[in-house]
Amino acid sequence: MDKKNILNIENISKTYKSGDIHVPALQDVTLIIERGEFVMITGRNGSGKSTLLHQLGLLDLPDKGKIILNDREVVAMNEGERTMLRLKYLGYIFQEYALIAELTALENVMLPAMLNGNSRNAREKAVEIFSEVGLEDKMDRLPTQLSGGEQQKVAIARSLINDPVIIFADEPTANLDTTASTEILELFKKINNEGRTIVMVTHEEEELKYASRLVKLSDGKLL
Amino acid sequence: MKTETRIPFYLAWKYLQRGNKWTLLLTVFLMAIAFVNLIFISSLFSGIIDGTNKQIVNTMTGNVYITPKDGDDNISDQENVIDTIENTEGVEAASPEIFVPASLKSNNYKGNWTVLSVDPDKEKNVTNVSQNMTSGEYLETDDADSIIIGRQIAGGEGVEQDAFSFKGAKVGDKVTLSLGGLEKDLVVKGIFNTKFLDTDSRAFITNTTLSEFIPTFGNSPNTIIVKTTSDAKESDVIERLKTNGVDENIYTWEEVAGLMSSVTESFLSINILMSFVGVLIAAVTIFIIIYVDIINKKREIGILRAIGIKPYIIFTSYIIKAGAYSVGGVILGSAIFFGLLVPYFNLHPFVLPICDSVLVLTKTDFIARAETIMWVAVLSALIPAVAVTRSKILTAIFGK
Repeated sequence: MDKKNILNIENISKTYKSGDIHVPALQDVTLIIERGEFVMITGRNGSGKSTLLHQLGLLDLPDKGKIILNDREVVAMNEGERTMLRLKYLGYIFQEYALIAELTALENVMLPAMLNGNSRNAREKAVEIFSEVGLEDKMDRLPTQLSGGEQQKVAIARSLINDPVIIFADEPTANLDTTASTEILELFKKINNEGRTIVMVTHEEEELKYASRLVKLSDGKLL
Repeated sequence: MKTETRIPFYLAWKYLQRGNKWTLLLTVFLMAIAFVNLIFISSLFSGIIDGTNKQIVNTMTGNVYITPKDGDDNISDQENVIDTIENTEGVEAASPEIFVPASLKSNNYKGNWTVLSVDPDKEKNVTNVSQNMTSGEYLETDDADSIIIGRQIAGGEGVEQDAFSFKGAKVGDKVTLSLGGLEKDLVVKGIFNTKFLDTDSRAFITNTTLSEFIPTFGNSPNTIIVKTTSDAKESDVIERLKTNGVDENIYTWEEVAGLMSSVTESFLSINILMSFVGVLIAAVTIFIIIYVDIINKKREIGILRAIGIKPYIIFTSYIIKAGAYSVGGVILGSAIFFGLLVPYFNLHPFVLPICDSVLVLTKTDFIARAETIMWVAVLSALIPAVAVTRSKILTAIFGK
């Protein structure tokens, strides 16, 4: 694999089953993500955008096909190994912020780093990232004391804490107003300009301009 | 790695510290109720068993019960035997008793009750009958024509065995003692109520009365009851008595408790059964509480897994949290039990025909039940927490 290629999926398919009904969500999708890209996956509702993101982010396994992350085939790995890859190499931002309600913003961000090193390093690094995302004055607040946009910034900070190879974002602006959405997208752009790879799902036309590459899905197939 | 092992504790602490306080209080309260339920029934039955045992010892048999050696009707050389017994380490007092196979009659009511001839000075050092006189007085050594009778013999309104009693005999009434065609009129000097049915169906006369009535009975008791010191073990005292030359048949009070022994054994069996049911109820209650708590956190658990937190860290944090709930429940439950229930039942005991029962909980029972609550809590957390951490991440987060 080319050193620029950090994530490569080959002919993956995924079908959701509910009783006798089989819904093909992805069909023979092949995709290469290169270092430093800002890839936006787009398509209509039900086109398979989120399903593809979940496969890329190792949150779910395809029915068939290969996923190669940093030259390592991950589908055959056990869940423990995939957990370790998610912790060390991948960052996630979900649509609904997905912060731990009982932890402050700082503690939410520190948590993944605490598993990688000692708490003091985690704290120093988290504080640094908070100033990067512009929330240094709200680090000690609980998620419920933050606005939607601020919570999403905390989620972004959390995704950055372990210096991930790729950051995955699943419609991160879907619950935000226009101003907060723009702030988040500008933050993504800034992070991307610093050399980080971002794969984001969106169905907002006006957000596509931030991407360095667009991937369009329709009925589970790449267009 | 050191940090990693601390993370479950860190997460559990944050859940407890910053989670909903009302939920925390309610959970701990429900745990406390489950714990109280578990120890209350047990302590109630233990109280009845303990109360019954004390009644047997304190009103009838003493701690050690001595009967004539096999083949003999009486304990010969009474004075030497008593002297040996009283000088044995661990013995507080001893009282020789003579069972008199006589019948009693008052007015037109007649019956066969247990009549005991005793030395009142010795008897009152072993049993507490003298302390339970409800009317009149206890016997004096030189009383020659007096009798004290139990409440069940005297009878009257509200007496359990009134149908077979003197139907309301009072102090000063005449009672006729009949034995082998001989009769002696005695005066009721006192009526006692030990609240133990068997003892309250007895009557006591003095050895002076018996000697005057039937001199052939002489001075040879057919029983000696022994009270041991509070720190003495009955089996040890029995061994020492044998070593000191008491060659009569020597029994612990439990061996001669007879019917009451079966009753207490039945209570013990019921207690075990009720404890088992209590554990089941506590287990189901705690399981539901913790299961609901964890299921409500399903999405959060999914998120933790998505960001790479190892499953064991997640479920261990929930186990620690459940453990903390159970410790809180045991502490609060203990406060309710020892601070409210025990004092209340000490003031208002359960009145039974065999004893007034209070709540009795041994240290062993307390620890065993506290441990039960904690293990049940831990298992209740382990099962759903492991199930959620083993389910698909997307199922945990999105429910799909």
